[in-house]
Amino acid sequence: MSTDVLLLIVPAAFGGVIWGIFGGALPGISPSITMALLLPLTYGMDPTAAIVMLAATYVGAEYGGSIPAILIRTPGTNAAAATVVDGYAMKEQGRAGEALGISLYSGFVGGLFGLGVVVLLAEPLSTVALAFTPPAYFALGVLGLSVIASLARESLVKGLMAGVLGLMIATIGTDPVTGVNRFTFGSPELLSGIPPILVMVGLFAVGELLAQSGEIGWRQAVPERARIRFPGPALWRRIALPQAIGSVIGAFEGMMPGGGGAVSSFLAYNEARRWSRRQDEFGRGSPEGIAAPEAANNTVACTALVPILSLGIPSSNSAAVLLGGFLLHGLIPGPMLFVSHSDVVTGLFAGLLAANIAMVIVGYLMMGPCIWLVSRPRPYLMAFIYALVVSGVYAIETSLFHVGVALVFGVVGYALRYFEVPLLPMVLGVVLGFMVESNYRRALVLSGGDHMTFLQDPVSAAFLTVALLFLLGSTARHALGTRRRRGAELPV
Amino acid sequence: MNRDLALGTSGAVIAGGYYWLAATIPDSALADAVGPQGLPIVYAVVLLLLSLILVARSLRTANLEPRTQALGSRIPAPGFHLPRVLGMLAIGVVYIAVVPWLGYVVSLAGLLFAVTWYLGGVISRTIAIVAVSGAIVFWLLFVRLLGIAHPTGVWGQLF
Repeated sequence: MSTDVLLLIVPAAFGGVIWGIFGGALPGISPSITMALLLPLTYGMDPTAAIVMLAATYVGAEYGGSIPAILIRTPGTNAAAATVVDGYAMKEQGRAGEALGISLYSGFVGGLFGLGVVVLLAEPLSTVALAFTPPAYFALGVLGLSVIASLARESLVKGLMAGVLGLMIATIGTDPVTGVNRFTFGSPELLSGIPPILVMVGLFAVGELLAQSGEIGWRQAVPERARIRFPGPALWRRIALPQAIGSVIGAFEGMMPGGGGAVSSFLAYNEARRWSRRQDEFGRGSPEGIAAPEAANNTVACTALVPILSLGIPSSNSAAVLLGGFLLHGLIPGPMLFVSHSDVVTGLFAGLLAANIAMVIVGYLMMGPCIWLVSRPRPYLMAFIYALVVSGVYAIETSLFHVGVALVFGVVGYALRYFEVPLLPMVLGVVLGFMVESNYRRALVLSGGDHMTFLQDPVSAAFLTVALLFLLGSTARHALGTRRRRGAELPV
Repeated sequence: MNRDLALGTSGAVIAGGYYWLAATIPDSALADAVGPQGLPIVYAVVLLLLSLILVARSLRTANLEPRTQALGSRIPAPGFHLPRVLGMLAIGVVYIAVVPWLGYVVSLAGLLFAVTWYLGGVISRTIAIVAVSGAIVFWLLFVRLLGIAHPTGVWGQLF
């Protein structure tokens, strides 16, 4: 790798980590929102630097979430919720610096493990996709959409509705086969469709802004000052096992649809307690109770790249925004990425390594500014986030129309939150809609309109079978969950 | 009306409107077997079916509610703060409307001031200073550092 490339990647990694730590440290601002806010700003950047910066933001945000979790008992991100238990207990014992040090060090260990997994798995998985035909690409899209079933935890119907709405949004613009305009209402701005980035910024950032606008006041948290203290050799040995548990769980969860940092953190916490010799210390300030979840959520930040890089399918909100970053720069994740843009992939791997190192350095140095930021009145923070959204979205194509579209999707995002509909299925629909439709119709043109082509192609048949099994499994799980909930209902 | 019923009804209305728009997409001489209307119509029908399922389920649940009481509590969705949300949106819409005339810095300072005042409920000199300083920082970042040409408004003609 040339020095020029390194000079691009390393600052991008540091910049992304700084942005991520700040975003993650703000309660209510998830890693996906932090990344969505950054996404428009990366438009004019070198593609490798842009992707590295977004991935580094994810890494930084996962650590940043633990800062308010430990200092003010408020997790900055969902994934940091498990850290609150023992982190805040340690802070109450005057060990906040030690808790922050364990969080940072464990995140670093988890991140390195996750990076190893990505480097080992992403390319071999992607080589399978080199043999893809239009039917296989269609089936891959369907497989990606079937992820919706596992994402819709509360209601499968609502998740599917959001997915279909996303597919509908993807049909806006010029038809991929005939060139006929669809749902453009005579607007030239809609001819090329609605860019997924506007949907993501609107749903995640503006939607959250609107949702939080009803719960704002001048109240502010007053955290105490803390100085990070890294663990000594004795503590290293003690937290090695929970870190390993967290890393392994995070690696699997990161690659699984709907897994994400929050699920992996709680699983890791639970398993670390189960395997610990000092179970009674959990919940009362156990270092192991911080090490396991923090290692897990930082592993997820890396392994979430495996399904994106190899198949182009995001497994979580943050991964979807990262995928948006690839698309924004004209990069199509999947097998061809390793062939046509191997420099971007290599740069991303190097950037992730730099991001994990940067996290330790920046995390140590930025504790003061983070504490200052966390204690700012929320109205100021919300105002600056709003300003960042309108400025960033405008910067993509210097279009005020795009700013308006992002606001419209903000309303959609707010409505989805209000109706308890998951956001990711809609994003999946928007991102995969074009791939599904264009390859479905292309495959039918090539086969003379014979639908059996989707079953005759072995890769397509395999994907469709897996998608079907996935849907059936999720439906069965939902049905079982509903029956259990009903079982918990008592007649009055 | 409970939230699921409202969502199901809204979904059905959206599906109906989308179906009507999809059915009016013009044919093309280049059309394949599916055509530009094909999948949009399928999506509309699927959304309609899902919406009807949700409506039916919510009506059934509503009928069961008087006789049963759930033991487990669900995490509540965000409250419905319509005036707040509309106010926040109005600030964004006003920003879009005035930025071509007032320019980026002035409009953004106005947005920062308006949002802080609207969410905080107080007006002070500090808010004004933070808003103007913030707008200048954003201008330095986007216009000077990243080289993105934001609208200059009437100021561009004066200077």
